[in-house]
Amino acid sequence: MAATYNQLPSVISERPGFARRAARAIAHDWLALFGLVIIAVVVVAALIGPLLAPSPGDGAGVINVDERMLPPSLAYPFGTDWLGRDMLTRVILGARIALQVSLIVVGLAILIGVPLGAIAGYRRGWLDGLIMRITDLFLAFPPLLLAMAIVAALGPGLQNATLALVVSWWPWYARLARGLAVSLREWPFVDASRAMGIRESSIILRHIVPNSLGPIVVQATIDIGTVILAAGGLAFIGLGARPPAPDWGLMVAEGRQYILEQWWLSTFPGLAIFFTVLAFNLVGDLLLRLLDPRQED
Amino acid sequence: MIRFLLRRLTSSLFVLAGVSVITFWLARLIPSDVAAIYIGPRARPEQIERVREQLGLNEGLITQYLVYMRDMLAGDWGSSIATKRPVLDEILLRLPATLELIVAAMLIALPVGLVLGMLSARWQGRPIDMGVRIVSIVGVSLPAFFLGLLLQILFFRSLDVLPLSGRVDSDLRFVSPIDTVTGVYIVDAAVTGNWSALRDVAWHLILPAITLAAYPIGLISRMTRSAMLESLGKDYIRMARAYGLRERYIVSRLALRNAMVPVLTVIGLTLAYLLTGTFFVEIVFNWPGLGTFAVRSILATDYPAIMGIALFGAAAYVVINLVVDLAQAWVDPRIRLT
Repeated sequence: MAATYNQLPSVISERPGFARRAARAIAHDWLALFGLVIIAVVVVAALIGPLLAPSPGDGAGVINVDERMLPPSLAYPFGTDWLGRDMLTRVILGARIALQVSLIVVGLAILIGVPLGAIAGYRRGWLDGLIMRITDLFLAFPPLLLAMAIVAALGPGLQNATLALVVSWWPWYARLARGLAVSLREWPFVDASRAMGIRESSIILRHIVPNSLGPIVVQATIDIGTVILAAGGLAFIGLGARPPAPDWGLMVAEGRQYILEQWWLSTFPGLAIFFTVLAFNLVGDLLLRLLDPRQED
Repeated sequence: MIRFLLRRLTSSLFVLAGVSVITFWLARLIPSDVAAIYIGPRARPEQIERVREQLGLNEGLITQYLVYMRDMLAGDWGSSIATKRPVLDEILLRLPATLELIVAAMLIALPVGLVLGMLSARWQGRPIDMGVRIVSIVGVSLPAFFLGLLLQILFFRSLDVLPLSGRVDSDLRFVSPIDTVTGVYIVDAAVTGNWSALRDVAWHLILPAITLAAYPIGLISRMTRSAMLESLGKDYIRMARAYGLRERYIVSRLALRNAMVPVLTVIGLTLAYLLTGTFFVEIVFNWPGLGTFAVRSILATDYPAIMGIALFGAAAYVVINLVVDLAQAWVDPRIRLT
């Protein structure tokens, strides 16, 4: 008996020919392909950035007086900043910070939110009411305002910003997972397991959560981009990473005072944020269309 | 409808009460001594103790919370540490500037987003649909603070047609000062017939409003498109087509009306985004609104101001959600019954 549950596949793999449909969709959709390529580039930069960067030392606060504020050229494709650091290097090194923050935030938000939402939606009753009212409180703040207030209380910095984003992000997953659980609990296979007397916790873990994964993966993909945007915003107003960290949002903020003369200081880190977020949105879109055939054109 | 209204109203009140607990608790998260922050870096221990007493910090947490709630409800939101003035006054003083920006952005985003969404649903799969898709996905991917800088580079530095930042030209004070009526400059200039000021104010508003509108345009056009496609697939639309009604009538009258509920949802989402999105835009454009005040307070750990702003923002958001829910219940009677 136990073997059969273990073999119960999730929604993604259950659909016949998912891989083939995905390949066809990508081939037809050059935008999604573009997104995938960018994500690949960002992931590579995050993994082995220090090996790729022309002058890896420039991630920190080194000073090269002779090479300050050089406009983009062959030697420095993205130019140099007011300390003479190579901007291309700093943009490459920034990929790791951006991905790290967004993966931690989305990952923890899922780990906290999905079980809570699944329990609430499966159990219903007073527990559902309690969990969802707490969720409502966190969602009652306009986006990012709660995160800003938390960072304000804890003090600025990358770690506190990450923590603050987790606190304001998990309720979205709780809400999503609850909605999915509410509809999944009515399915015959869940009824059957209940009738067989299987423990509630196993039903939630083996049926409810795995079958909720499709929409959650779509949301997570889009959210990785959204968190990069949010973390960039926090860094831009001085609540995220501290100098000399090569954080994209921070670099945009630092370059801002030179924007009219040395436009490249803010432009390249800003473009890095934009293209990364764009890529996750494009791929999220693709996944959405693959999971929900109604959306397919 | 009355029952629905009452139920939503009570739940909003509960949410607000809960929110006040969170903001209260946030101020207790501050690792350093609040009283020490209050007086400044060179306080003597006995001074700190006196301020602790004054602020009621020696009381129990529950008592502190109840006092805080009582003062809040009486309109006493504490005083800003930085400016020493009442927080509520500071917020209300800056509110018109922020409202001006938010309304301007909404006035751009709503028509543009709706039209783009409808066009792309009408010509699904055609080049125009693809174009709208690109516009909307770029809109939701561009960081507002970065877009603002790009627009400044383009329209101020390169083309030199629009001002760099601020709400008015610094000379305007001497040339033709604006008489304050509402605090919303563009309205004030218009009602007092101050045309040169009106032009100046409008010119200053363009770039920040566009910057703030970019994300909502993406959001609205996307949601409108899928809501329209959904309602265009319904039987009564096929029926209308079979009757030979003109496509334009079908799209703009029949389908749009049924797409209104999701569109109202997206308007709520947009307003929620604008509430904090304006913070970043205000910083980029030196806009003297709530956002600039909020960021300055956050960076200075001005905790009475932060608590006030958080509560004010949450209250505004709760009201927006309430209004959107009521509007939806009004448009779609089914919602009232669930």
